[in-house]
Amino acid sequence: MTNTVSNPDTFVLFPLGKKRFALPARQVNELARQDEPQTFPHTTPLLTGVVLRRNQIVPVADIAPVLIGPDAPARKFYLVVSRHTKGRVSRTAIPVTGECELANAEQLPVTGKLPAYVSGLLSLRGEIVEVLDLDHLMSVEVFA
Amino acid sequence: MVLFSVAGSMFAIPARSVEEIREIAGLREFPSRLARVKHTVLRQGKCYFVVDAARHFRMSSQQPGKLMLLRHAPVAVLVDAIDRMQEIQSIHELPAAFGGDERNWYRGLTLIKGKVVPVVHPESFLSKAEVTLLSVLLRGKRSAEAAAVTA
Repeated sequence: MTNTVSNPDTFVLFPLGKKRFALPARQVNELARQDEPQTFPHTTPLLTGVVLRRNQIVPVADIAPVLIGPDAPARKFYLVVSRHTKGRVSRTAIPVTGECELANAEQLPVTGKLPAYVSGLLSLRGEIVEVLDLDHLMSVEVFA
Repeated sequence: MVLFSVAGSMFAIPARSVEEIREIAGLREFPSRLARVKHTVLRQGKCYFVVDAARHFRMSSQQPGKLMLLRHAPVAVLVDAIDRMQEIQSIHELPAAFGGDERNWYRGLTLIKGKVVPVVHPESFLSKAEVTLLSVLLRGKRSAEAAAVTA
């Protein structure tokens, strides 16, 4: 039997309603106040439009309905994150409902029946926070 | 680029791909299996299949007011309004996160006075295969009409 010891890593904790979720900090580019997204017709699930950030057109992915259901409170900020899409790194804006927090913690393996887009768990002062795999969360398979 | 609007959204299409813009008149009913093609229109003896842009982009139809006849194929696009002609500086690639039908609909996105406007692929309104199938259907319909007149 082999024991593996993980070093603590840095995560960005963000609220969606009453629950908090985490993303690896290396994936997060910035936290910005929410602008109204610009919309045009498309058929990609979760995408609600695009925003202009630093002369770039950044898609907005509202993941709240998947994570906490349709009654999520108003989103106040965008977490702009880097994602690997089709072999390329691209930025996506994730609307969140409140202030974010940095946390150093050891990522624990997933236990029990959790959706496949949960890549790990953080245990923070009695609170269990799910670490999200955004690429998986936004993949077509989730909606198939 | 020609800027046009459908159900409150603005789109751009290369001006070179538009043969003519005209009022909606002379539409003939043409029941087809494609929900977005329900009419044809004649121009100088050539029959164009009319694509309802609102249905094409899965939007609720508003008040179609113009027809854009395309150059590359016998396709006319029913739109709400033609806004204006506009030169554009650049076309941004559609962000990779967009993975649905829009990858076929759009060449990319352009910025016009801070507004993000999709630049449409003219070929996406009807594929070559769809035009072929509709042409066969049209020939069949004409033959049936001719036979009925003869009888």
